[in-house]
This record gives sequence, structure tokens and C-alpha cells, in this order.
Amino acid sequence: MKNLKITRGLVALTSAALIATFAVAVPTAARAADLDCSTTAAASKYGAFDTTLCSGKDQFGAKFEIAMPKKFNGTFIVYSHGIRKNTDLPKLPSVSPQGYVVDYSPDIAPSKEIAAALLKQGFALGGSGVQTQGWNLQEQVLATTIVIDQAITKFPKINHVAAWGNSLGGLSTQLLAEQNPGLVDAVAPMCLAESALAEFTMAGDFLWGVKTLFDPTIKATGYSAGDAGKAEMIQDIIKVLTVFNTIKADISANPQTPPWPKTSTAPAALTGVIPVRSAVLLLGLISGISTQSSSFDSSSGPKGPLETSFGLAISPALAVLENGAEAAILAVVGNYDMELKAGGVVFDNSNTNYAARLGDDGDVYAAGLSGKTATAGMLGYLSALNPAAPRVKADQAAVARVKALGEIEGKITVPTITLTATADHITPPGATQYLINKYKASVANKQSKPGLLVNIWNKPADEYTTFDAAGVPQTPATPTNGTQHCNYTESQVMLVAKLLTDAAKSGKAPTNKTVLAAIKKQPRLFVDPNYVAPLFKYRQ
Amino acid sequence: MIRNNRMKRYSIVSAVVAAGAMVLSTLPAQAADPGVTATEIKLGVSTPLTGSAGLAYGKVPGAMKAYFDYINANGGVYGRKIKLVVRDDKYLPTLAATQTTNLILKDNVFALVGALGTATHSKAYTAASLAAKNVPDLFVNTGFSGFGNISKYPTAFTVLPSYAMEAKIMSKFIKEKFAGQAVALIAQDDEFGVDGVNGFKAGALALANTTLYPQSSLNDARVKALLTGLSAIPGKPVVVLFGTTDVTALIFKAAESLNLVSKFTWIAGSVGGDANTLLALGVKPTTIDGAVAASFFPDAKDSTDAYVSQFMKINEKYNKGVSFDNIVLQGMNSAMLTVQALRAAGKNLTRTGLIEAIQNKGSKFASAGLVPLNYSATSHVGYNGYWFGQLNAKGELKPYGGTLAIFTTDSAAGAVEASTYTRPALPKNGIPTNS
Repeated sequence: MKNLKITRGLVALTSAALIATFAVAVPTAARAADLDCSTTAAASKYGAFDTTLCSGKDQFGAKFEIAMPKKFNGTFIVYSHGIRKNTDLPKLPSVSPQGYVVDYSPDIAPSKEIAAALLKQGFALGGSGVQTQGWNLQEQVLATTIVIDQAITKFPKINHVAAWGNSLGGLSTQLLAEQNPGLVDAVAPMCLAESALAEFTMAGDFLWGVKTLFDPTIKATGYSAGDAGKAEMIQDIIKVLTVFNTIKADISANPQTPPWPKTSTAPAALTGVIPVRSAVLLLGLISGISTQSSSFDSSSGPKGPLETSFGLAISPALAVLENGAEAAILAVVGNYDMELKAGGVVFDNSNTNYAARLGDDGDVYAAGLSGKTATAGMLGYLSALNPAAPRVKADQAAVARVKALGEIEGKITVPTITLTATADHITPPGATQYLINKYKASVANKQSKPGLLVNIWNKPADEYTTFDAAGVPQTPATPTNGTQHCNYTESQVMLVAKLLTDAAKSGKAPTNKTVLAAIKKQPRLFVDPNYVAPLFKYRQ
Repeated sequence: MIRNNRMKRYSIVSAVVAAGAMVLSTLPAQAADPGVTATEIKLGVSTPLTGSAGLAYGKVPGAMKAYFDYINANGGVYGRKIKLVVRDDKYLPTLAATQTTNLILKDNVFALVGALGTATHSKAYTAASLAAKNVPDLFVNTGFSGFGNISKYPTAFTVLPSYAMEAKIMSKFIKEKFAGQAVALIAQDDEFGVDGVNGFKAGALALANTTLYPQSSLNDARVKALLTGLSAIPGKPVVVLFGTTDVTALIFKAAESLNLVSKFTWIAGSVGGDANTLLALGVKPTTIDGAVAASFFPDAKDSTDAYVSQFMKINEKYNKGVSFDNIVLQGMNSAMLTVQALRAAGKNLTRTGLIEAIQNKGSKFASAGLVPLNYSATSHVGYNGYWFGQLNAKGELKPYGGTLAIFTTDSAAGAVEASTYTRPALPKNGIPTNS
């Protein structure tokens, strides 16, 4: 590693500084000697033979693992996992069918298969489970820093350190590099998350819309303290699922004019005239939920009279419905967790202009929205002036705490390779676009050197919705690549790993030519320096 | 609870950079524009070939290709042959965005030509980053006045007069020719129809009834209910149809079924009034006989018109089996404009050069249009006027009252004025030689 001494010094410094910021009692720092290393564990867990797997707990209680293959090639890749629910849940259909217990286990790669493949290639891997789940950006940056420290202490033969992560782990990976120049040699944020406020605004807008239009008994924000709050949160999940299942069934039975749920208290001027699918689509568009989902491409229709109108007006709504269920649940669980952590309501739409949020999409999706008149009617109902649609005012102290959690600044000092799906419904491509914009600004300000950021985009096939003989749309057996959250193929992730580790070794970002050659056999990947993804609505 | 002292470490410290600093300094210097070689110019179009819109407008790319083939057979443009890559977007915005992106990234076209539709192309323009890539977006088939916003669509040039212009001119026509008759408007409830509604307001036309319908939402039962309601209006109301051709056909067929054809004076807007397409969609010749339609072209059946005659010949040879109509005329005309634009851009063809050529010389291009083209550095809007005629049972559009009266206007509050425009002569054999 070109800067091993610097790096190790920084690790120590960073760790010390971060440790000092914790108010909790700090136990004696775990050191390499505390690691529990074995060669059999790697074989059983990752199918990796001739590999030493070291497990440990850092000084904050986070479990971590470091896997070192016998034929080590000199590069250590540290992985940061995505967000996990921070509360146990009972059995809930779709959300936690078997119940859920908070998961603190460490991940050393996006999947065990990828871990096995990389270990076989001679890469050492590591990652932390992180002691705090939910939105744990600071904790994850710290935990990952400690894993690096542990790895290079235990294994001095490490020459290069690369970092990567998924979703919130992608964001923490980016911040790890931005906040600690010299700590890592290259990074690869995948399905990069935006800031907490950007993400929770997207999900929160959608959930608020679901509550306002379809079931005002959903609490959505302002959960009570203690067990009562958790019960409210679980009730909200059940209500959201009920709303979505009802709407889905109604659209399936009557695609053209599906009714609104009986729990809706919206006036007959809306519910009696506008098909509920248009209301669902509107909520998706004003919050920024993708109109392409795993099952619905907004581009296909069944043969017959619905061929055009399905793709035009029905498919986008069904896509939002499919994507939105997860976004709304994320909003429920995320709001609950974030309110506990920040000490108050963090979602705020008290001044949101949803008509402005809709923007040009009001024209593009006019047919799906049932026309301009219907759109105006729905937006009027969602207006801040309508007392039947009360807005949410955040606790400003809580918002300030969330803002201080950190966000992308674009100060890139090492090769950075992103992988982003254009139809990811949890971390839309606007997060990566925000990084691009911030990096350009940083370059223009001479705070960053040019040529360090490479963006690889993952898009779904042109058309992929399938229909049975009766024209009923089918759910794909495997989630459609390019849609859903962090839904990459193993070969796509391995491609990123190759570019990442090459960059870590060379200190240079791959050239456009190199990336084009790498993705040549990946029809769902593209690079385009001029591609501009829409930013999160929070940023618009 | 999150502790403030921990957060401080991560608080934002960087300054926001001025908007002008969006220079893509991370990129290597651009090589020559894609899609141009010493022997070929590759153009692309995303347009509906299938689905309901494909039935009405699917002939556009074939007509363009036929004209390009004709030019290629006659030496091409400065020795380069034009290749047109066609992708089907079914008139769906998401698919249009996908296909336009494919044209740019996979097909590596030099420029786009003849894209069709407002919702489709506005989404495609943004999704494919046409502005950032400086991709010339020629002769878009939409009348949405919003495309006239050069700061938002800097590389796009529309060809149709705006829907607002059409409505303003139509207002004047109706007030003069059908004074005293109640007027009902049936329009698409989107930017297309709303543009029209705004034009009728600007034209001070009193509407006794306005029905706005979402695209793809009408069916036979709804249309019959609508017409039955309108039939209660006393006298012989004027019904203005401001929608696509498939909807015009749906309405006409419903009127036939209800025996209400003669109850109304029908006026079909330019988008939905192509007689050949209406007949092909099953409308009876007797129904369209007498209907009023708007156009900025000569009638596609008028073989005495030099442009129509030339295009008919090209169609017969290079577009075999396809009947010549307004849609084919539109496609060939856009192709002819494209060839002139490519020639005007010079032998050293670049995207910037092509855009500048249309801005600087486009208003002088020869075209079949009976109204002027308005291209300049400050206007990317094509034609700006209309004339009205009556269809006969053969589908021919004859000037209303026997005299061709052409009017021009703008999309805003400008007056509707009689045109004094003289159309440039057809280039010899329809082959431009401009520079």
C-alpha cells in the first residue's frame, strides 16, 4: 500500500477521535490478540478452504470478521452492509413472515457467494455487523475504520485497502473515504443511499400520502414512547399492508376504474371520479418512487384492447404500488427508529409544495393520472390549505440532529466506482447523481482532483412485463435486474470488485475504455458521463 | 439518543459551489461526434409503430426512410448516405425514454429526427440527456408550446405549429364561419388539450361545453353518452375534436351509431383529422364528407402540388405498398428539411454545426408547408399557421368556401393574421442543393 504508514496512523487517530466522541463507557480496545481465528470457520461459512477467518468484537460491541486466504494477493476489501431494522418484529406478512430479531451479524461481502469467489481469487475480506442498527451512519464509519485497523494490525502483509458497501453501507463507505483521506485506496459505493433527510423525506412523503388519501388512521409519525410506540408502529405496518393489498386486488379485478379503499375519507369528488390507481401513481411521482418495478415496466401491455393503455396508464401505477409498499414500510419502521434516536419527529412536509414536486411528471404521466383535471383535484386535496389533509411539522432539534449525521460532500481523493440501478425504489439513482454533482463542484473548487469518479448504471431490460394468455401480468420468478433495491447479479458485483481492486492497486480510476470493455458482456450495465438521473425530491 | 458531540465531527463544512461550475472536468476531451463517418450519417427516431398510436402515426418513419433512400440513391449528403435507425416506443413515455437512450448509447446516432408525441418525447429528452450531449433533436412532431422553451430543450426543433396557435386560428375561423352556432370542445386532458384550451381562451371563443378526457380513457359507451348529452344543445352545434386520430374515429363511429353525424358541424384538429387514417379506422366516407379539418400542408391528395407530386413519386418507388396520405407527407417533408439542415451544416458535420445551421438558415428551407418556418437563434418552433378546409367522401381536403385562406399567429397573445408567405419552390426533383 502506497501509504500504509499514513493509513495506519490515520486509523489510530480516527479511532481515537471517534472513540472519544462516544459517551458510553469505553472498554479496553479490542486488539488483534483478541481475535478468534480459525481455518475451519471460513470453510463452513463461505466454502473457502485455506482461509483464516478471524472473528471479534470491537470496543463498542460490534461483531466483525476478517477472512484472510492463504494465497493472499495483497488487497483487503472491507464491506459495509445496508440498513437493518433496529427493532424486533412479530410475524408480519411480507415484512417479517417468520418474525424478526435484530441482526448484528457481520457481513464481509454483499453475499456469501461473492465472498467465496473473492477469497478464491486471493482477496482478504472484512466487515462489521455494527452495534447499532437502523440509520447508523456514524457507527458504521467507525466500525469499518476499526475493522481496517484490526486487519492491517493482524495481517501486516496487507498492501492495499479497498472499501465497498451497499445502500446505507454505500453511503458510509463514501463518507469513510471522504472523511479519512488516506485510509483507503479505492471505494465502491453500490446502490448508494442519500442523506437521512433525503431518504426519509421520500419514504415519508409517500407514507403521508397513503395515510391522507387511503387510511387516515395510520399514525405515520409521532410515535409514542416505549411499548406503546412500538405497538403503534406495528399497527401501522399492518394498516399499510392492508391498504396496499386491497388496492392491488381492486386494480387486478378492475384495472381501468378500480375503487378506493373503504378506509379512505377523501371526498367523493375524488373517490367517485378518479380511479385509485391514479392516486397511487400521483403519490409515487410526488415522492420520487420509481415507476418501474420488478413486475411492471411501464412499457408493455397485454395483446388486445389494453395493449397501449396498460403501459400508459395502468403499469406505472402498479409499479409504484409494488415499489411503494416497501417504501412505506421503510418509512414506518424508519420513522419510528429515527424518532427514538433523534428525540422527536424528523419528517416534515409543513411547507412542501406537492404540485411543484410533481413538476413535468404531471404532463408525462397525464394519462395515468387521469388527466390534468383529476391531477389538480388530487393535488388540491393534498394541499397545505386543506384541513382534512393535515401536514406534519418536525421537531427542529431532532431534524438538526439528523442533519448532523453527515452526508456526501463530494471531496473525492481516491478512485471511486459506483454501481446504481436506475429503477431502485429505496435508493433511487438521484443519490449517485448527488454525489456526481457534489464531486463536480468539488473539482471546480479545486478541492478534489478530476478523473476519480466512475459511475456504472444498471438498467432493466427495455420491456420485461409478461402476461399470461388471459392478459394477466405475471410476477417474475426472480426479481428483475435493474429494479428493486441492490438487486445486482453476482457477475455485476464481481465486475465492480475487479475494477475496485485494480483501482486500489494502481491508485487510478479505470478509464472509460476499461469500463466499457469490462461491461461489454453485461447488457444491463452502461456508462455514460452525460447521463443525468433526477435528484431526490428533497433536493429539487 | 444521538449525541451532539458525535455529530459535530460529521457536520457539513463544504461550501455550495456556484451553478456555473458544472464543467465536466472529469471527462477526457470529446472526440468527433458519434454517428458520422466519411460515408454515413446515422440518424434515429423513436416513434410509435405499434399499439393504437402506431395505427395512426406509424407511417412517419417509413416515409422518412423512403425520402432518405431517395437522397442516398442520388448521391447522399456531400457523399454521405443517411441511415435511419427506427425504434418503436408504442407512444409510451417510459418506453420512449428507453428507446431514445438506446438510440444514443447503443446505436450511436448522430442526431434524432421526427420523434412523435409530447409526453413521450419530453420524458425521452430528459432521460436520454439530449441537452447535455448536445444531440440535435430535429423536427419533433408535437405542437406542445412548452417545447419552444429553448433553455429547457436547447437542441430540440419542433415542426408542427403549436396547439395554442391552432386553437387561436380556429377560434377566428369558427367565429367568422359559424357565428351563432354553439361550440363544444372535446379535448385530451393533458398538455396537448390544455394548450388548445388556452389557445381558445386567447382566441376569445365562447365554448358552450368543454369535455376533457384523459388519453386512452374513452370507449364507445362513454363517447355515446357524451354525444347524446351534446345532442341536447339546440341547433347545429360545432363540435371541435382536439385529440388523436383514433379518438376522432371513435367519436365519428359513435355518431354514426347514434345517427348524430348530421346533428353537428364537425371540426377536427390537425392531430386527429387525417382522412385516410380515419377511413382506415372504419369511419364511413359519408361521415367525413363535410367535416372541417385544419392543415398547414397542401392536401395530401392534391397531386397538382409540386411537393405532393414529388413525394408521391418517391413514395411509390421507395415506400412500396404504403398509401400516400398526410402522415406520409409529414414524414417526407421532415426528411427533406433534415437533408437541407445537414447540407447547411457543411461537409465538416458536427452536432453544434447542425444546430446552428437550422437556427441560421432553417427559416429559408424549402418545404411543403404553406406557412412559414420560424427557426432562428431565439425560436426553435417550426410552422406557425393553418388553413381550414372541408373533407369530401374521398378524403380530400378542399379549402373552406373554395378559397385558400391561411393565417399565422404565435403561441401567446399575438394577433391572428392573414399570411403573406410565399412558399419556396421545390428543389429540382426534390433534391436539395442548398448550403
